[in-house]
Amino acid sequence: MAQVTCEGKTSREINSEIKRLLGDGETDIEVSATGGRHNLGVAILQEARISFKGSVGYYCAGMIDGPTIEINGSAGWGLAESMMSGKVIVNGNTGNGTGAALRGGTIVIHGDAAARAGVSMKGGLILITGDAGYMSGFMGQKGTIIVCGDTGEGFADSMYATVCYVAGKTDDLGNDTVIEDLTEEDTKSLTEALVQHLDGEYPDAGSFKKVVAGRKLWNFDKKDWKTWKEAL
Amino acid sequence: MCGIVGYWDKTQSKSAELGQTILNMLHALACRGPDSAGVALYGENRNGDLVLRISLGENGKPREQAEKVVAASAKLGEVKDSSQVSEYLRCVLDYAGDPRELEQRIEMSGDGVEVVSMGRNLEIVKQVGSPENLDRTYSVSKIAGTHGIGHTRMSTESAVDLSHSQPFWAHGCPDLAIVHNGHITNYHQMRRQYEQHGVHFYTENDSEIISIYLSERLAEGKTLDEALEQSIDELDGSFSYLASTRDAVGFARDRFAMKPLLYSETDDFVAVATEEIAIRAAFRGSFEVREAHAKEVSVWHK
Repeated sequence: MAQVTCEGKTSREINSEIKRLLGDGETDIEVSATGGRHNLGVAILQEARISFKGSVGYYCAGMIDGPTIEINGSAGWGLAESMMSGKVIVNGNTGNGTGAALRGGTIVIHGDAAARAGVSMKGGLILITGDAGYMSGFMGQKGTIIVCGDTGEGFADSMYATVCYVAGKTDDLGNDTVIEDLTEEDTKSLTEALVQHLDGEYPDAGSFKKVVAGRKLWNFDKKDWKTWKEAL
Repeated sequence: MCGIVGYWDKTQSKSAELGQTILNMLHALACRGPDSAGVALYGENRNGDLVLRISLGENGKPREQAEKVVAASAKLGEVKDSSQVSEYLRCVLDYAGDPRELEQRIEMSGDGVEVVSMGRNLEIVKQVGSPENLDRTYSVSKIAGTHGIGHTRMSTESAVDLSHSQPFWAHGCPDLAIVHNGHITNYHQMRRQYEQHGVHFYTENDSEIISIYLSERLAEGKTLDEALEQSIDELDGSFSYLASTRDAVGFARDRFAMKPLLYSETDDFVAVATEEIAIRAAFRGSFEVREAHAKEVSVWHK
């Protein structure tokens, strides 16, 4: 396993070092003394395992396509923004906009996610073992959000086709949301995701609620503006 | 974009490290605010004496101004100590009267003289430039105390000078200070209302209104917790701010969670900052950091 220390280095220098090691054929890299630095591990476009020993700042693992990135600490704003594929595991809490505009891959947060997790996501899976913050799932277009804890105010507001499963409270759902019964197919895929990504304890798949778009805001017909007014 | 930090020593034993701790946090956020840096630190209680930090204006004759200010202060109470560094005068005064009257008399003693802070424990030091320069000029790292807040500023809508820098002391309310990151969008409307009631504004900086708003709530007999809670509904826009008094530090975050704010609480301390990098730069060891919720208010008391 290759070692990289962040001590005394800028994010650019650290990222260059990671890229150089990957170019040399290294597939397992441990990065220490991260200290909450921003923009670490961005734009990595190959399969590899990168482990950050400590907290990371804004935009970690942004625009990645392939790697597995583990963070032993918390992550700041915009974690794994626009990720195409791969896996990001956080052993801690994440900041605003986790997985914003996510295209594919999986984010597993062993902790809480702050506001707007999965905002405008277009694919992939975000699994949160704790709570999801204010307006998480906002305008989600595709993909899945699984929340084992509670959801904050305005959850799943104005979504397109993202599907959310919540085990905890859904007291304050956003505009144009509905709770549907879990189908057999839902229970099966939910169980698979929980078993695959979480060791040990997690809520029973049957205890989750399914939150999807009410589809009232999908089309705008000016003759029917009342529908919009009511939905909002 | 600004950087704000706060530190609360849970043991409340006067720590020699206070100034250095706040500076370490601020230094990590220097890139968020290159325009000015400032700290509000709560130090020892000097047997009830007031400490004043006074800006001497920019007329090029700070020493003359300092003499005038000291003379004016001496008419109101016993001046126990006074020292001048750069354009700042620090004055320790035995005074038990109306703080507003003291402030007015001092500010009338010379052109451009402004009381930057007043309190039994509070001292505010701020200037244009980086946290590093702030320490070089005023030896902030040597200031001991129990808690404090700090600010690095990137100005968006008002002048870059000492007066517009943060932290802001709440004029007329000893020991109350704030630092703010964001925009108060109903600032002009609120300011007009305050001005109709005779409130004087020292700056064009929207953050100043937070200190005025909070001092008004405290004067009504509300607790700091209640004041912060109420501010979430009455201040409009994007904000994360910290407020501190002699015996508390707290924060409030806007309803949309638009401006960053994170915090850590351990058995020993509470650290609050705009970015985690500031907390990790100042504190070693393993502890959890989490981002505040939308509308979250937290206050730590003595």
